[in-house]
Amino acid sequence: MIPFDYQRAEDTRSAVATVTARPGAAFLGAGTNLVDHLKLGVAAPDLLVDVSHLPFDMIEPLAGGGVRIGATVRNSDLAVDPVIRQRYPMVSAALLSGASGQLRNVATTAGNLMQRTRCPYFQDVTTPCNKRRPGSGCSALEGYHRDHAILGASRHCVAVHPSDLAVALTALGAVVQVEGVKGARSIPIIDLYRLPDDAPQHDTVLEHGELITAVDLPALPMATRSTYRKVRDRASYAFALVSVAAAVDVERGTVRDVRVALGGVAHKPWRARRAEEALRGAPATDDAFRAAAEAELAGARPLRDNAFKVPMARNTIVATLRELTRREEP
Amino acid sequence: MSNHVAVTVRVNGVDREIEVDPRATLTETLRDRLGLTGTKKGCDRGECGACTVLVNGRRVLSCMTLAVTAHGAEVTTVEGLSSGGELHPVQRAFLENDAFQCGFCTPGQVMSAVACIAEGHATSDDEIREWMSGNICRCAAYPQIVASVAKAAAELGGAAR
Amino acid sequence: MSTATRETVAGRVGDSAVRPDAALKVRGEFAYSSDLFADDMLWGATLRSPHPHARIRSIDVTAALTLPGVYAALTHADVPGENRYGLDHRDQPVLAEDVVRYQGEPVAVVAADHPETARRALDRIAVDYQVLDPVVDAELAMAEGAPVLHPECPGGNVLRHVRIRRGDPEATAEVVVTGEYRVGMQDQAFLGPESGLAVPAEDGGVDLHVATQWLHVDQSQVAHALGLPPEKVRLTLAGVGGAFGAREDLSMQVHACLLALRTRRPVKMVYGREESFFGHVHRHPALLRYEHGADRHGRLVSVRAEIVLDGGAYASSTPAVVANAATLGIGPYQVPNVRMDCWGVYTNNPPCGAMRGFGAVQACFAYESQMDKLAERLGMDPVELRIRNAMREGSTMPTGQVVDSAAPVAELLRRVRDKPLPPPADPTDPRDLPGGVANTTRGDGVVRGVGYGVGIKNVAFSEGFDDYSTARVRLEVLGGEPVVSVHTAAVEVGQGLVTVQQQIARTELGIARVTVLPADTGVGSAGSSSASRQSYVTGGAVKAACERVRDTLCALAATRLGREVGLVDGKLVTADGAVAASIADVLGDEVIERTVEWRHRPTFPLDPLTGQGNAHTQYAFAAHRAVVDVDVELGLVKVVELACAQDVGRAINPQAVLGQIHGGSAQGLGLAVMEEIQVVDGTVRNPSFTDYLIPTIVDMPPMVVDVLELADPHAPYGLRGVGEPPTISSTPAIVAAIRAATGRALTRVPVRPDDIALAGSASRPVPSRPEVPCD
Repeated sequence: MIPFDYQRAEDTRSAVATVTARPGAAFLGAGTNLVDHLKLGVAAPDLLVDVSHLPFDMIEPLAGGGVRIGATVRNSDLAVDPVIRQRYPMVSAALLSGASGQLRNVATTAGNLMQRTRCPYFQDVTTPCNKRRPGSGCSALEGYHRDHAILGASRHCVAVHPSDLAVALTALGAVVQVEGVKGARSIPIIDLYRLPDDAPQHDTVLEHGELITAVDLPALPMATRSTYRKVRDRASYAFALVSVAAAVDVERGTVRDVRVALGGVAHKPWRARRAEEALRGAPATDDAFRAAAEAELAGARPLRDNAFKVPMARNTIVATLRELTRREEP
Repeated sequence: MSNHVAVTVRVNGVDREIEVDPRATLTETLRDRLGLTGTKKGCDRGECGACTVLVNGRRVLSCMTLAVTAHGAEVTTVEGLSSGGELHPVQRAFLENDAFQCGFCTPGQVMSAVACIAEGHATSDDEIREWMSGNICRCAAYPQIVASVAKAAAELGGAAR
Repeated sequence: MSTATRETVAGRVGDSAVRPDAALKVRGEFAYSSDLFADDMLWGATLRSPHPHARIRSIDVTAALTLPGVYAALTHADVPGENRYGLDHRDQPVLAEDVVRYQGEPVAVVAADHPETARRALDRIAVDYQVLDPVVDAELAMAEGAPVLHPECPGGNVLRHVRIRRGDPEATAEVVVTGEYRVGMQDQAFLGPESGLAVPAEDGGVDLHVATQWLHVDQSQVAHALGLPPEKVRLTLAGVGGAFGAREDLSMQVHACLLALRTRRPVKMVYGREESFFGHVHRHPALLRYEHGADRHGRLVSVRAEIVLDGGAYASSTPAVVANAATLGIGPYQVPNVRMDCWGVYTNNPPCGAMRGFGAVQACFAYESQMDKLAERLGMDPVELRIRNAMREGSTMPTGQVVDSAAPVAELLRRVRDKPLPPPADPTDPRDLPGGVANTTRGDGVVRGVGYGVGIKNVAFSEGFDDYSTARVRLEVLGGEPVVSVHTAAVEVGQGLVTVQQQIARTELGIARVTVLPADTGVGSAGSSSASRQSYVTGGAVKAACERVRDTLCALAATRLGREVGLVDGKLVTADGAVAASIADVLGDEVIERTVEWRHRPTFPLDPLTGQGNAHTQYAFAAHRAVVDVDVELGLVKVVELACAQDVGRAINPQAVLGQIHGGSAQGLGLAVMEEIQVVDGTVRNPSFTDYLIPTIVDMPPMVVDVLELADPHAPYGLRGVGEPPTISSTPAIVAAIRAATGRALTRVPVRPDDIALAGSASRPVPSRPEVPCD
C-alpha cells in the first residue's frame, strides 16, 4: 500500500473542493471496496477524504411522493426501513441478498453504487486490464470469464458491475444527486453508469471530485409489488451470476406496466427496456414473459465460457415475473 | 511513511489514544498495536468474518475498516466480552456445544453471534443461518454453531443484550 | 480402606469430554501461529514467480537491500544446505534456482522491520525470466515428446504408475457401463493462514514455532536445507487454524529459519489469503475412465479403470495419492476381475498433495457414479445394487489383501436408506429453497432428488512405511494429588487430539488431572496428523506408555506394600478389590516417566506389476444419503439433508466424532457443488474467498448421523480412523441426488448452475427414482 494522507471532511463543500483540486485524492465512505483496492494496489490515492460521517444519513419523503435516500445511509438500515420495505421491496431484497450482515452494517448507499467490478483481472495488478491500466488489454476476453458480461460489452472490457442495489435502483429509475465544485446536478441512474466502449476505466459519468449525496426514488406505485432475485454459485455471501429486479402492474391478466433490470450481465446495471416494451399490454403468461426475455437477450453476445448466462437470465426473468404476477392475481 | 493520525478509540471499555498510520486497518491495529490477537485475520478482504468486532455496538469487519475511521468509536473485541473471568453466554454456549474445531473462526463467530442475537435475528434456526452466513467455518461446526446461537439467544431473551 | 472410596474419573475414553483448549478458543486467547510475537522481531515476505513455467536468467536483490528497514534479501544461493525438500521425493527447491515450475513458486525472501516494508522490498527484486510454455494437461504431459519437467524422474513426467491386476483382466460381462469423470482442483482453505516465528538460538541453531501437521518431518526437511543437524532445529507447535492436508508440506518453515539465522533476529512470516492459495498444495484434479461389467443380476464381474492425477509441479504426496486411488479405486465392493492403472503426473499446474481423503475422494466420485449408471442400466435400485456387491469382513481387496476386521458396507447403506426422508420444502420460505436468502426460487420448477454414496479409505500410512508415534507419560504427585503429563509431538489441528490423549491417560491410569504438554520435537516423532491416523497411532502410543507407567507403579507398590496390587480407578487395589494404597502414598516424591514408540501392524509394498500386497493396515467406511432440491430452471441446488452412517470401531469422543462427520461431509459438499481452483494456462484465477467459494452455514444441511462401533481387534480400543471417510462419500451422494432430480449426466465435480440449466430451455426433469427400497 502506497502511503496516503487522511482527512476527515468538515463539510460537503470543502470535501468536494479538496478532492477536485487533487488528482490523487479520493473520497472514503465505509471503505468496504476501496480498502480492498488499496491493499491490492488497484487504487493508490495520495489522500483519502472521509465523507462517511457527513450528514446524509436520512431517508426522507420527497415532494411528489418519492423518497430520498441519503448517501451515507448504511445498507442494513436502508434494508429495514419501513417505507422502503413497504413501497420498494425490491430495494430491501437486493440489499439483503448482498454481502453479509457485517458488511451491510457499514456499507453506504453511495459506496454501494460506486463499487467496482470483481473481475479477477481487474483485481490482479500483475495482469493486463483496460479498466485498471487503459490500453494494456483485456485479459478476461480469452481468459477466465465465466462471471463476465453477455450484454453491452466491448473488446476493451467484458467486466460486470457487482452491485445488487444498483440493479433495483435502475429498475426503479432512481435519480442520483451529485455535488461538484460547479454545483449540484441530478443524474438518472441509467445515465450514471457507462458501457465500457473504449474507455472502461470510467465506470460512471462522474467527474473527479463529484460526490454522490443522495439517491431519489420516484413515486412508483407498482413498486410495492416488486422483488429482486439473485442467482449465484452459493446461496449467500456471493456475487450474482445473474440477477433480476422487477416490478409489475397487472390488470385483469394484462401487463399494464413493468420494470425490469438485470444484474451480473453487463458493465452496468442493465435496464431491460426491450423486455419492458414487449410486455406492456401483453398477457401475464409464461409465454409472454419468455418472449419478452428473449427479446431483451437477442442482443446477448456471450463469451466462450458464459453462454449459460443467456438461458439463466431468461429463466430468471420469467420466474421473477411469474412470481410477481401470481402474487398479483388473487 | 504516511503522516500518522492521532486516534482516540475506546476499546473494551478502555480509552486508547494512538497514533496510527492511515493505511492500518482496525484488525492490524487491534492485533499489532494493542496486542488484542483474539481478532483474527483470515482473509483480510471481507470474505470470511474471522475479524468481526463490534463498533458502536454493531458488528463490522475490522479488516475492511481503516483504524483512522474508528476515531471516537467504541470497539468491542472478543477479549472484551467476558467480565471477571466469567464467560459471556455466547462463549459458554459455544464451549458447551463444541461449536468449533480448530477455533480460528470462533472469535469472529462469537462476536457475530452476540450482534445477531442483539439484532433480533436469532429467533429460528433458519434465521440464525441466514444472519450468520458472513462467518465461514471451514471445519464446518455449523450445526453446533446454530445450536449455540439459539441457546444463547434463549438465555439472553432473544433481542436483549 | 474400602472399595467405596473409589470413583471413576470423568472424561475417559467414550465420554464427550470437553476440549482442554476450549475456553482459550472461545475467549480468543488461544495462540495461533499468526498470533506469535517476539521483541525485536522482523517480518518475512516471499517473492513468488508470476509464471507457471520460466527459466530464471538472473535475480538481483540489491535494490531491495537498500530500502531502509530491510535486513535481508535471500535467494537460492543463500540456502546453506541442499536446496531441496519434499515429503516423499526431495524435488522441490526451497528457493527457485534456474527454473520455476509453477505460478507462485518462491524465488526470494526478505526480512524487514514492518510487513509493508517487506512487501515493498519484494517489488525491488529484479528477476529476469525467460517465459516457457507451461505443460498444463496431465494426459498430454504423459505423452511422448512432452517437455520433461524433472529430468531426474525416471518415468518422464510420470511420477508414479500403479498397476493392479486381479483375476482375469479381460473378463467379459453381460452388462457393461462405461464413463469418463473429472474432479476439479479443490483447496483445503483452512482459515488460519500459513505462519510461524523462527528464533535464532545461541547454539547456532533455530527454534521454530509453527502451525504444521507433522513436526518431525518438517524438522528433517528444514535441517537438511539449512545444513544443520536435526537437534539444532527445534520445532514447537503453534496454534493451528485448520489443516486438512494443506500443512503436510513445508510452506514458510525454511524461509523463516533462513532469515532468522541470517539476521540473528526473530522472524515472523504470515501468508495472506491469496498467498495461501499459492503457499500450499491442493487436491489433485483427476480424469477417471471406468468400465464396469456385471451379470444381469447386478453382480459385479469386472472393473477396468484408468485414472490420471495431475500432481502439478512437484511430487509432494502424489505417490501416496496414486496408491490410494488405485488400491481403493473400485470402492468397497467385491469384484473378481480388476484392471486398474493409475498415474500421477508432473505438470506446470499448482502442486497437488494431501487433502482429506486423498486419492479415495476422486475415485469414489467415479466408481459411485458408475454404480448408479449400472443400476439404471439394470433397472435396479441403486442401494440394492451396492448391497449386492458390498464388501464385508473377509472380503479380498483388488490388491489381494483380505479385510480382516469389520467392513459393514451393506449395513451402512441400509442405515442411511432407512432413515425417514425429510419433509418437502416449505415453498413459502425461500430460506428452505434453492438460492436461499436471495429469494431466488419460489418453488417453481423445484425438483427433489435422492442419491447415495459409500466409500472406503485406508487409515494410517501404508505400503511398508515405518509408521509410528512416540509418547512420553509422566506420573508424579503434586500437592498431594497424582498428576499425569502426556508429551507427544502429535499435532492438534482442531480434530480433538489433545482431548483424546487426555481421555486415554485418564482411562488407563484412573487419574483426573492429566496435562497434555505442548507438542514439540523434544520428544520423538508422532507422525502426521493426517490419514485419519492420530487417534490410532498416537492414541496407541499414549495407551502403551500409560501401561508402562502403570506397570512400574504397581511394581513399586508391590515392593513397598509387600503384596501384589493393581491400579484400578486411580487407586492401588489388591486382588480381592480392596484399596491398598493411594498413588500419593506409594509414589511420594518419586516420578515415573516412560516413553514408548508404538507401531501399528506392518504394511507391505505393492507388487509393481500386479499391485498385489497387504498395503494397508486398516480400512474405514462411511455411507451417505443426500436429499437435494434443485431449481431446474435456474440450476440452483439446495442440499436439504445429509444422512451419514460410519463405523468408527470405537468412538473415543462421540462429540468429536460427530464434528468430524459434519466437517468431512461439508467439505465433500463443497467439492460436489461449488469448490474449484480455476487454473487457466497454469495460472490460478480465483485465489480469494470471493471467487473460491466454500460452504457457509446456509449451505450446511441438517445431518442425521449413525455411528457404528464395531471394534477392530487390531487397533487400540478397537477404534477406526474417523476424519476422512465422510469427506469421500458425500460428494457422489449429492451428485447422484442432483442427477435424480435433473436427469443430467453430471460427470464432473463441482456441479455448478451452468451444468444443470445450461440448455436453451429448462430441461424436462426426469422423475426421481422410486424411493421405496427393493429389499
